[in-house]
Parts: sequence; structure tokens; C-alpha cells
Amino acid sequence: MSLFLHLYVITPPTLSGIITSMFSTSSQLKYWTFNGETELAELRKEANQRFIQEHESSISIEKQAKYFLTPGEEKLLIRHFEFILREFCVRFLPPMPKYVLGTALTYFKRFYVHNSVMDYHPRDIMLTSVYLASKVEEFNVNISQFVGNLKGDRDKFASIILGFELLLMDKLHYHLTVHNPFRPLEGFFIDLKTKFKGVEDVEKLRKGAEEFLDKSLATDACLLFSPSQLALAAVLSSGTKESMNLESYVTGVLLKGANEDEMRKTVYQIKRIRYIVKNQEPLQRDQIGHIQKKLEQCRNQENNPESEIYKRKLDEMFEEEEELQSKKRARMEEAQKKEEQLLLGK
Amino acid sequence: MEEQGCPRCKTTKYRNPSLKLMVNICGHSLCESCVDLMFIKGSGTCPECGTALRRSHFRLQLFEDPYIEKEVDIRKMILKDFNKKEEDFTNLNDYNDYLEMIESIIYNLTNNIDVETTKRQIESYKKDNKDLIKKNKSKLSKDEEYLEMLIQQEKHESEVQRQLLQEDEARQKNIKLKNKEALIDELMFSEMAAADIMASHRELTKVTDTSSTLPKKAATEFSTGIKLGAQDTFIPLSKMDAGELYRYEPTQVFMCGPKCLSEEELVFQGYLNHVRRASDIDLGGGYKSVMACQRALQDSFCGLYYFPNTAS
Repeated sequence: MSLFLHLYVITPPTLSGIITSMFSTSSQLKYWTFNGETELAELRKEANQRFIQEHESSISIEKQAKYFLTPGEEKLLIRHFEFILREFCVRFLPPMPKYVLGTALTYFKRFYVHNSVMDYHPRDIMLTSVYLASKVEEFNVNISQFVGNLKGDRDKFASIILGFELLLMDKLHYHLTVHNPFRPLEGFFIDLKTKFKGVEDVEKLRKGAEEFLDKSLATDACLLFSPSQLALAAVLSSGTKESMNLESYVTGVLLKGANEDEMRKTVYQIKRIRYIVKNQEPLQRDQIGHIQKKLEQCRNQENNPESEIYKRKLDEMFEEEEELQSKKRARMEEAQKKEEQLLLGK
Repeated sequence: MEEQGCPRCKTTKYRNPSLKLMVNICGHSLCESCVDLMFIKGSGTCPECGTALRRSHFRLQLFEDPYIEKEVDIRKMILKDFNKKEEDFTNLNDYNDYLEMIESIIYNLTNNIDVETTKRQIESYKKDNKDLIKKNKSKLSKDEEYLEMLIQQEKHESEVQRQLLQEDEARQKNIKLKNKEALIDELMFSEMAAADIMASHRELTKVTDTSSTLPKKAATEFSTGIKLGAQDTFIPLSKMDAGELYRYEPTQVFMCGPKCLSEEELVFQGYLNHVRRASDIDLGGGYKSVMACQRALQDSFCGLYYFPNTAS
């Protein structure tokens, strides 16, 4: 809410509270909402192929399939880490608002649309996503507090997160505003309570709807649909569960002003969401161990914070920077000396 | 920068702020007191170069660099004889050659290059052009004539103006005097009240006052002949293209979904019964519950009509 207040203060009151940061004009719609699951699958396959092509030279073609991860294996691994991410967020202390989780998952998903798991380990990106999301969503946690939620070498985790933070933002093209379906859900509850008399207790719907949204987070729905459609699907799905008839609300109240085409397409979109969320494939935990072992072999060591190459690269970067600094300093000193000579010499 | 000073007594401008440097035809400077001391007899030699100098030829050094002083001196002297004008030549090239010759002579003399030959050259020139020099000395060039004329004209005009002013002043004085007399006459013989007479009289004088001022003709040109404010006609100001005037257009909200209600409508239709009431602290901070309500509704409507390209 603080973000909202802030925005409201800077927008002149004559706009009567119309907020300019809406989904319809967002980078989310423009760059990060895809046409369908096939498009997503293709983009992921491309990322996978790109990585293999770049590292192919070191290995014979027959061994490739055994050595590298397939797009399917990548998908499994990503879903596994999405699950871990959710668990991490739910157990996070201090308790984390839902929208931070939503934003973090969205970052994580967006990142692996254009990047391969073999290039960047999902564990690193997962932590960084949560850390970045907590910043963007104004959930104030500092890095030591953040890594306090982790077991193991906390300093190492802190350096990994901070090391990948800029990279993550870069790969997201700095499109950091994420529109989550949680506020739209509240909007629908308010609208239902005010406009629709067909339901006695709207709050009954809340539990089911939130469960639906939680489930939807495990799918690619946030890369395919608008947050308001997701929220509406959640409300409707909860309505069916509670055996409340909300059809007259959708057709008679919410979409009263819509034309036939819009009505039909919206209903179709809602159906698709409900289908996707309902028919998720279960996580295949038994395969994860095998895939992770494979990943340790074929992953890009340049982006592995524990590898020697990574450390060397980091060192080189620092050295380069230092060298540049010292060169700059020397140049400045030289210039100053010349100036002094000019002043004194003649 | 070296301090300016007298080469003989080594006094500098810093030590003696009222130091006056003098310079003679040889281009070497001396301070005033040294000149007084050395040229007590009226003539002597330059302590630097030994040239024979006359005291009367000393003048105040205008330029910091005595070399320039010398050059100006020589130029003056040369141009006295080399006074041909552009009209005296048949074409421009000849005139330019002539000018160049003058410059080279001046340069040679100031830098002491081939002084003898140069001097001989001057002498021969003088001999060859004796008549022309004499004639040109008395004749003013066309430019000078024109300037002279302009100055004359201006003088004449200012004279006329002055006369007009004087006349006007005299006339006004007369009128005032007459008015005064008339007033006194009236006061003496009229049967009207004195205050009324004074009032009407004042009005009369006011009218005459304003009418008597002479319409002043503003000067339209400088003495050089350049018209006052003439630059307006020479350089037409480029018209400023300010572009189209700004027209306010209300922001269009692209909802991609059902229309959202305004704040007033939300309040009117009872939406606020279903949102958290704003506390006193919230209200103090400028928060109203209708804001949150509108935002939530906006978010739930916005994007409802989003359809990917492939969806049928």
C-alpha cells in the first residue's frame, strides 16, 4: 500500500485517482506475456540449444545427449526449484506477504524463459529472485537478515546473491514491476459484495480462491494470462467448489458492457486457466537427484560461484577495475604536474 | 610579463606609479625625468642607439611596446608623402601593389632593414610624384568629403533645432505673461467670484501648456551617416516559429477491460461499505479508503480483455 500512496501523491488529484501503473500499459503485458505454452516451450528450447551450441566443441556429438540436459529435464528442474522457492518464502521470517512470493516466482520464471539452467544454476537465481522481489515490493529485509533464513555457509550465500543480483536485473531487462493477481482478487471480492446479491457470504470464497492462486503459481499461468483473468478464474473456481452460481455475476454484472466477442474470449481464457491449473503434472522428485548430478557435470563453470574459473574471473574483474583506477590516477597526476610546470616554469 | 620601466634609471611603474615614459623617433623609451635631465640643452643622443634626437620630438608613449610606438611614428611620416588615393589608379591591382609597397617600406624602416636603400626609394618616389603629392595634400578624398558634408549637415540641423527651441521658449514666455495680465485684469474688473476666475484660468493655461510643446524631431542618423536603428532593416529578424499552441487533452485510460467507476460513483454506490475504513492516522496522511478500493477494482478490471494472438 505504501507504493500506492506514493504514486497517489505524485499524480495530480485532478486525474481522480487513476493510477498509471496498470497492467494494460505495463512491460509485463508488452514483453513478458506470451501467446501460449508452445511459444514458451520453443523459447526455452532455443535457450537450451544456444547453450549446447556454445559448449559443444569440447565434446563429441554422440555424447551430447547424455552429457547435456534436455529441455524436458530443464523444465523438471525449474519446477523443482519453484517448489523450493515457495517453501522458502512461506517459511521466511519475518513472514512475507504473498505478493513478494508472486513477484519472486515471476522473476524466476521469466529468467529461465531466455536462459538455460545449465548456464545459471537455479539455486542461485532462486535466492536472488526472492531477494530482489523483497526489495522491489518494499518488504524490507537486509542481506544478513535474509541469509539468516538459510542453513549453511551464510556468508557464501550472501556473496552469491549480491553477485547475481545485477545479472538477474539485466536479464529481466529491468522490467521489475510485476502485476500479481492478489490485488485483483480483492477487487473482485469488493465488487461481488457491492454489486452481486446472489451470494450471501462472499468471504466463503476467499479460501478456495487463494488456494487456486497458490496452485497457479506452480504453472506458467503468470507468463500467459493477465493478473485479473487469473483472479477471476480463482473466484469462479472457488465458486464451483462452494457450489455457488457466479455465472450471472460474470455475464450480468462484470461483463455487462462487453460485446459478444469479448465475452466469449474472456470466458475461454478463464477456462484455459482453470484447465492449466487443474491439470498440472506432478513433480517427479525421483528424477531430480539424477538431473542435478548431470547438471554438475555440464553446467557453465564460469557462472558457478564455487568454481575456480568463477573466482578467477571475479578476481580479474577486480584487478581490471583497480588497474583502470590506478591508470586514471596516474594520468590525473601527470596532468596536474604539467599544469604546475606551466604555472611555475615560465 | 616584464615590468614596464625606464631603461636608463631603471625606475619601474611599480616603484613609481606616476612614471611617464616618453618615446622619440628611434623607438626607444625614456622616463620623463631622464628626458629632462639628458636633453637639458634641447638635443642629444639616444642612450640606446646613439641616434641624434631633439627634445621637442619626445612624446608620451601610448603603447606598452615602444616598437609599436616607433612603427606608428614612421607610418605617420611615410603616409604624409605617400598620399595617393584609390582614384589615382587605373585598376585595383595597381592600387594594391602601391599599398604593399608602403607596408614594406614601413616594415623596413621600423626593423632597420636596408635603411639606406629604402630611404633612397622614398626620395625617388618623392621626386617622381612631387606634383601629385602636393595636389593630394590639399585635396580630401571622397570619403572624407562625404563625412565632412554629413557633419556639416548635422551641425546645421542642430542649429535649426536650437533656434526653433529658442523661439518656442520666447513664445511661451509671452503667452504666460499675457495670461497673467489677463488674469489680473479679470480679477480687477470682472464681477465673478475670485475662486471661479482662478479655476477657469488654470484650465486655460493647462491647454496652452500642452499645445505649445514643439514636436521634437528625433535624430535619425549618426554623424557617420548610419541610420539610427538601421540594423532592423539590414538584418531582418528571423520569425520565431513557436509551433502549435499546447492543447490539453485528458489522459486516456486504456483499460483493456470493463470500465472502472470514478471515486464519486464508488462512494455513491456503496462500495466503501466493503473496504477497511481509513483510520484517523490514515486520513492525516492523506489516505482515503476510496483510493484503495478504486485501485483494487481497477486492477481486477484492467486486462480482463487480454487475449493472445493465437486464442480464437
